[in-house]
Order: sequence, then structure tokens, then C-alpha cells
Amino acid sequence: MKTNSLSFKIISRILVFTILLGAGIFSIYFYFSRSEIEKAARANAVFLAENTIKKIEEVIRPAEMIPDNLSWMLESGAIPKDSIMPFLAKLVRNNPIIYASAIAFEPGVFATGVEAYAPYAYRKGESVETTNLWSPDYNYFIMDWYQIPAVLKKPHWSEPYFDEGGANAMLSTYSTPFYVNQQGKRVFGGIITIDISLEWLTEIVRSVKIFETGYAFLISRTGVYVTHPDFNIVNNHTIFTRAEELEEPELRTIGRDMIKGVSALTSIDLKHLGFVWIYHTQLPSTKWSLGVVYPHNEMFAGLRKLTFTILLLSLLGLGLLFLLTIRIINHQISPLSKFASSARGIALGNFKTELPQIGNSHEMQDLYNSFEFMKRELSSYIVNLQETTSAKEKIESELRIAKEIQMGMIPHIFPPFPNLPEIDLYASLLSAKEVGGDLYDFFLLDENRICFAIGDVSGKGIPASLFMAVTRTLLRSTADKTKSTAEIVTSINTTLSLNNDSNMFVTFFLGILDIENGELSYCNAGHNPPILIRNNQEVSYFNITKAIPIGLFDTYVYTGERIQIGPNDQLFLYTDGLTEAEDVDNKLFGDELLLKVIREHASASPKAMIEAATKAVADHVKGHTQSDDLTMMSIVYHGKQRK
Amino acid sequence: MFIFAFITVKITLICMKKTHFTQRCLIAAFLMLTLACRAYAQNEKLVFSPHWLPQAQFAGFYVALDQGFYKEAGLDVQIIHSSATISSLQLLKQGKADIVSSFLMDALKLRVNGLPLVNFAQLSQHSGLMLVAKKSSGINSPEDLQGKRLGIWSSGFDDIPFAFLREKKLDMEIVRIHSTINLFLMGGIDVMTVMNYNEYNQIINSGINEDELTTFNFAEYGYDIPEDGLYCLESTYATKKDALKKFARATFKGWEYARKNKDYTIGLVVAEMQKAHLPNNKPHQRWMLDKVLEQITPSNKKVNYGQLLRSDFLYALELITISADNKGKTMKMEEFYMK
Repeated sequence: MKTNSLSFKIISRILVFTILLGAGIFSIYFYFSRSEIEKAARANAVFLAENTIKKIEEVIRPAEMIPDNLSWMLESGAIPKDSIMPFLAKLVRNNPIIYASAIAFEPGVFATGVEAYAPYAYRKGESVETTNLWSPDYNYFIMDWYQIPAVLKKPHWSEPYFDEGGANAMLSTYSTPFYVNQQGKRVFGGIITIDISLEWLTEIVRSVKIFETGYAFLISRTGVYVTHPDFNIVNNHTIFTRAEELEEPELRTIGRDMIKGVSALTSIDLKHLGFVWIYHTQLPSTKWSLGVVYPHNEMFAGLRKLTFTILLLSLLGLGLLFLLTIRIINHQISPLSKFASSARGIALGNFKTELPQIGNSHEMQDLYNSFEFMKRELSSYIVNLQETTSAKEKIESELRIAKEIQMGMIPHIFPPFPNLPEIDLYASLLSAKEVGGDLYDFFLLDENRICFAIGDVSGKGIPASLFMAVTRTLLRSTADKTKSTAEIVTSINTTLSLNNDSNMFVTFFLGILDIENGELSYCNAGHNPPILIRNNQEVSYFNITKAIPIGLFDTYVYTGERIQIGPNDQLFLYTDGLTEAEDVDNKLFGDELLLKVIREHASASPKAMIEAATKAVADHVKGHTQSDDLTMMSIVYHGKQRK
Repeated sequence: MFIFAFITVKITLICMKKTHFTQRCLIAAFLMLTLACRAYAQNEKLVFSPHWLPQAQFAGFYVALDQGFYKEAGLDVQIIHSSATISSLQLLKQGKADIVSSFLMDALKLRVNGLPLVNFAQLSQHSGLMLVAKKSSGINSPEDLQGKRLGIWSSGFDDIPFAFLREKKLDMEIVRIHSTINLFLMGGIDVMTVMNYNEYNQIINSGINEDELTTFNFAEYGYDIPEDGLYCLESTYATKKDALKKFARATFKGWEYARKNKDYTIGLVVAEMQKAHLPNNKPHQRWMLDKVLEQITPSNKKVNYGQLLRSDFLYALELITISADNKGKTMKMEEFYMK
């Protein structure tokens, strides 16, 4: 498909819009889904952690009650000294969660003089054994389980430890101080402990599964991993050594918050897990901290999968839409190309060209009707045109002949009087149309007198040219050596006016120059005043009386005038086609410019002067269509002495 | 040995003339095996016990053993670890160990009290002992220690801290502790003695940042007394002098190898710790290795590797004999330190 085809343009615009719209809707959908998933995940992380904590506390709290109650019993003296050991054994036996239990006395508390005594009951296989923990090699007073609660005077959960050879499991010892009454005083009596296995706790924490790689972990108060999916880390690493090993300083910050007991949801970009959320919160009893690791990637895996599917389906859909739209549009506009070839056929003149079959769309119906109409109209128009053209051609041919005849009437052989050295004459006529209404003429009346005339018939074209022909014929028939210029003009006027139903008229200048003495008699019937150039330099308009043009009033009597011209004086006659030549801005050539041109060529021959004037007019109009006939005539009188 | 080798070569030559190639090869292999067995049997057996549980503090020994440096020196060394119930010095006394490592102060104290042990190589040249306190307990200078609770190991190694307290005229409540940092972390004591290569980093690894701690390095307060050295009984030294010297040289070679191959060394240490079922992790052992290597390096002291400076010996003796238990006791360096 060509990229500039109509169907491509329609489809590409529809597609762009569809894609933009789809992308917009999809972005909004994605953004909201994402934030909803995030919200749900946050809530779930908190819920998971809190729920796990609750499960752990449900075990730990009752376990803590045992030594707490025991401490009360010891203080109140409810247990006889000699039955402490069997009591402990029974306590261990009856509480499956307890692996071992001890009551470690301060010096002199169990009995005067007894510096150290720590009855201890522990499981060994199925049975419960008892012993005294104290030995010279085992000074329990400096052991963490004793010393920390003894110094702090508050219960303490020990750091988890692996009891090798005994329980063969991770244990933690809960120690709580007890008090006794000595000589009426309540004094610190020692420490009661229970060792509990952390297997169940590990199970609870490990059962927390979040997607594929998410997990929960537990760290002690000093950051030691109590549980972690990677068993190698448990009890070997603290969260801080792990941070160092993984080169994740942010993990250290999280660890510090955790051991401080802060509950928070933090995000961190871990090299081995990617971007994760860690929600952490503290176990109220042991003060250990539980962390829930939420892998960001997996959290959005479902959304990503869905997104991918939607994008894929959208692409498929767009592809189908594209193909379907092409088919529909191509089907709908297929008559267009047929119309185009029909139009070409019609344009080539084959009006019998069949118009294509079209569907039922009204646009196509309109187009079909228009084409049908165009075909019909064109057909009849062409017939008309052929007729008109042949008529026009005929007229044009006749006009050409008419022009030839008209031009034949005007003398056009220069120099016209080679035998008369006294004068030189040149004239030119440029019609605005095929045939014009201007005229000029010159001829000898006798051997000494030359008659010349210039005229301009009102209007243009054939009527004007006919009128001009009549005028010229009248001039030739009327002029003879007996008549004055005024008589000739008056005679022509009378004849023209009598049969002038079309009210045409002619501005006319008639002159008779006597070459013997340089006397010029003339009569001006409304014509532009000629220019007289004296001594090749003094240029001026004839200051003459302007009578009315001929052909208007049959009774009008014209008067003639006389002027003496000297040798080398030159006469320049013209019609208004010269001074009224317009340029594109309708600016006239004008009298002043004409005078200027004539002055510049004051000493030129008639031919050169007329050519200069013609050129000046051409320069002025700059190609603008000539609107009126342009006629010029110039006569130079050399004087009698040249003979 | 030389004669034996000479004879075997002769036999081989004779045999070669008469037997086929394969037979010759078999005989040669047999003879070489015999030679190897004899050479192995000739290696001097030595049992070494470091003075604490496996950790990077003893990396040089593990490396020397693993890399065969002891074997190259003609020694057949076995490393046995002391335990909670039996110390390395007890192993020495019982004759279960030929060589032990020990702190100079501890060993010298035993010597002035009659145990006939001698130092035949001084490993460390500097003290890693320090006091550490949380800034949050208001301790920023030695004067701030006045009246505070100081945790000191019950196992000893308290001469330097006490000398420091005496010098600074500080009256502190002494709390004897076993070996962990937990009482300090829980706030049961304000100050505790730590080794810069061990407990100090354990505190850092328990989530306390360095800038939250105030430290007093005893070395910087004029108590730069060397620590780990190699010891044996006088009787052992008398009979196995050459082997002991070889042991010391091979051990130093092990340390040098460790310095250049830290990843390998840490792997070895961690494997040793796993064998002993001890909690272990690489970052802490790396820290320890770096710090112990610093101690072994003489740096500002004009001392050779393995040498015990007379000034250090006399200073250690002075600190020991100040205490009431050892008042008036004397010891000549020549009797204690074998060059």
C-alpha cells in the first residue's frame, strides 16, 4: 500500500489514535492495579508478620509462665529444699516444650555455707536426668544465662545456641531472677531457667512463604539469625555480618532498626534478591525481631504477566483492525480508482467510457451522478465548442484578411518620396486588435505639396476599421490641389455625418506642407496636438485650436491654420494610443514623458524617432496588454536648398 | 640413610641388566615407595595446640599444615584444639601437646610460678587488647571511666587493664565475665575488655556502629605488650630444638602465605570452625585475619619475625610482679626465651 494512498492515511490516523487511546487507558489501568497490589502487599506483609508473631507468642508466653510461677513458689517457700531436684525433673517431664530447667542459687542462699548450687533437670533420650550444674570447670555465675538476668535483675532470653551432644537442636534459655527472704529481707536468690527448643519456632517462621523467593526470618537481640531459609546462615551470621558479606550497607541500617524493636516497612535493593520490601517487627517476649521479605519483582509478576498478555492481545487486535480496516476502506473506495480511469477515458474524449459499478453508499451515488452529468455536459460542450471554434476560426481568418486589406490601404513603403529630398517621412500603426480604428495617410497633391493626415476612430475593431476605411477613402477622394485643409475636413465631415447611424466619429488632423517654402497649412478636428521640433532641439506642442472630431455634425464648418516651418524642422504626430498607453498600475505614458523622449531624440530621423517612441512606450507598459491602437507619423522638412 | 640409598641404587642397576622393562619399572616403583616410607617415618612428630577455639587468630598454623610447609620442613604436625574443659596449657602439662600458643603475659605468669615452659618464637609483636564503651553511657575519655562497671574476662589477661586503672587512678566496679559480649550489649556493664581482632568486631557485628563506641587501645597508652607466642616445656626444647625452630619457621611461612592468599585462608579457617561446630562467618574471620596480621608485623618496633624484645619481656615481667600474687618473683629472659 502506498503511503500517500487514502486508505493508508485513514488507517494510519485511526491506528495512531487507537494506540494513543489504548496506551492512555492501559497506563491508568496499570498504575491503579499496581498501587492496589502494593497496598494489598503492604497489608499482607504486616498481617503475615503480626500473625507469625502471634503464633510464636502463643507458645512462648505460657513457657515464660513456668519459671515465673516457680520464682513465686521459691520465694514463698512452697517447695521444700530437698524436693527441688525431683520437682524440676517432673516439671521437665510434664512440659514437652521444655528441654531442661535449672534453679541456680546465689552463694549462701540454698543453705548457709553452700557457695554454689544449681540443680538441673534435662532430657536424655526418653528419660529425664538430674544433676548439679556447678563444678570447678563450670562457674555458672559468669555464664550469660545467669549473669545477664542477675545483673539486670530482669528476665532474659539468651542468644540462641546449638546444643551439641544434648538436645542436638537450637535452644534458647529463658532465665528469670528469683528472690528469697533472709532475716526478714527480700534478697536476690538466684536464677531459674528453662531451655526450650526452637525447632517449633523455626517451623512457624519457615512456613511463611511469600511467592517464590519471599520468606520470613528471625534475628536475636544482637542480630544473630535465629531462623533463615538458608540453614548455613542460622546462628553463624548476624544480619550485620550478612550486610558486610553481601556489601549491602542498607541491610545494616534495617538490622539496627530491628534490634532496636522498630516496626517498619522498608524497601531495599538486594543484589541477590533484587528489590524487596522488608517488614519487621519485634517479638514482645524475647525482644527478637521478625522480618518478612517481600520480593518486589514477584509481587508484580502476575500484573506483569497480565500486562504482557494484554499488550500481546492488543497488538494482535490492532493488526486485525489494521487488516480489516484496509479491506473495508479499499472495498468502499475501490470505485474511486475506477472513476479515475473512467475520468481519464472521458478526458481523452471517449465519452462512451462506462462508469464503474458502485455500491449503495450515497457518496458514491453522488459521485456517479456527478460523473454521469459531467460526461453528458462535456459531450455537449465539446460539440458546442467544436462549432464555436470553427466559427471563430472563420472569423479570425476573415479578420486577418481584413487587416491585410486595411494595412494595404495605408502607405507603408518608406521612404515614400525618394524623389523629394526636401522631406523625410516615416509612420507606423500598431493595432490593439486584429483590425484597428487608427489611420494615417500621405500623398502628393502636386509636385510641391504633400498632404498628410492622422486620425483615430472612436471605438476599436471591425466597426472602427470600416469607419477608418471610409474616412481614408473620403480623404483620398476629397483632397485635391484646389482645396484647403479646412475645406477637405469639412467635406469629409459632412459626408461621414450624413450616414452615420452608429454615431461613430474620428479625431483627425490634416496637414498640407508646401515643400517649396515650408508653409504648413493644417486643420485639426479634435486630434491630439502634434509636436513640432525646431532646429533639432526646440520641442513643443502645436498651440492650436482644437475643433470637434469629424462625423458628429454634418453642418459643422472647420477652419484651417497656417504655420511656417524652417529647414530641418520636424513634425511628430501621434494618436492617443501613445500618450494613454498604460502600465500595469494604470499609469499613463503621458504628454510630459512623450516630450522628454522626443527631446532626447530631437535630431533623430523620423524612423529613429518613431522607433525610440515605440521603445519608450514598450518600456513604460512593461508587457501590459496594449489597450488602444498606437499610431505615429513624423515628417522632417529639409528645406528647398538641398535640391 | 645414605648407605641405604646407595645399596638400593646398586641393586637397581644390577636388576636392570637382567629383567624386562616392566619388571624394572615395578622394582623401581617399589624401591621409591620404600624410600618414601622411610622418609615419612623419619619426620619428627609434633602436636600443637592453639590456646583458643579455631579462628583466624591461628590461620598461619592451618595454612602451614594445609600447604605442607611443616612436611617440607620434615615435620609431622598434628593440631589439637583446647576445649571448654581443657586448656592448651593443661594439654602441655599432660604431655598431650608438644607445642602450644599462649599470650606472653599468661605464659610468663605460669613460668614465674614454676611451670617450666619456654618461648621459642614470639608471633605477635603488638597488643590487640582494648577497652570499649558505649558513648551513650557518657564515656568519652579515660576520666569518664571512674565509677563505671568494667567487664573483665575471668580467664585472666587482666594485668594490663589493672595497670591502666592504677596508672589513671580509676576506681571501677569489676565484673568478671566469661567470654561473650552479651552482658555489655544488654547494658549490664558499661565498659569491657576486648581484643581488637575479635570481640570489638563482634560488637560492631551486633549492630553498634564504630562511631557509637569509645575505645581505649592499650597499645596507645604505652602497654603495647606482645601477645601470641609459641611455647613448649623446657624438656621438649632440650630434645627437639631443631624441630621446634623448623616449626616456627614453617609457621611464619604459613602466615606469609595467609597474608597473600586471604580468601583461601579464610575458607580454611571457616572449614576448621565448622569441623568444631562453632558459629562462623567469613566477614568476622576476615577482620580477625587482618588484625592478627597487623600484630605479627613488627611495624614501628625494631624486631625480627619471631623475636621477643628484651624491653617487652621486662615490661611484661614488671606488670606481672606488681600484683600481690607474684610480688618479688623474678625471671631471667635467657631462661624464658630461647633464641
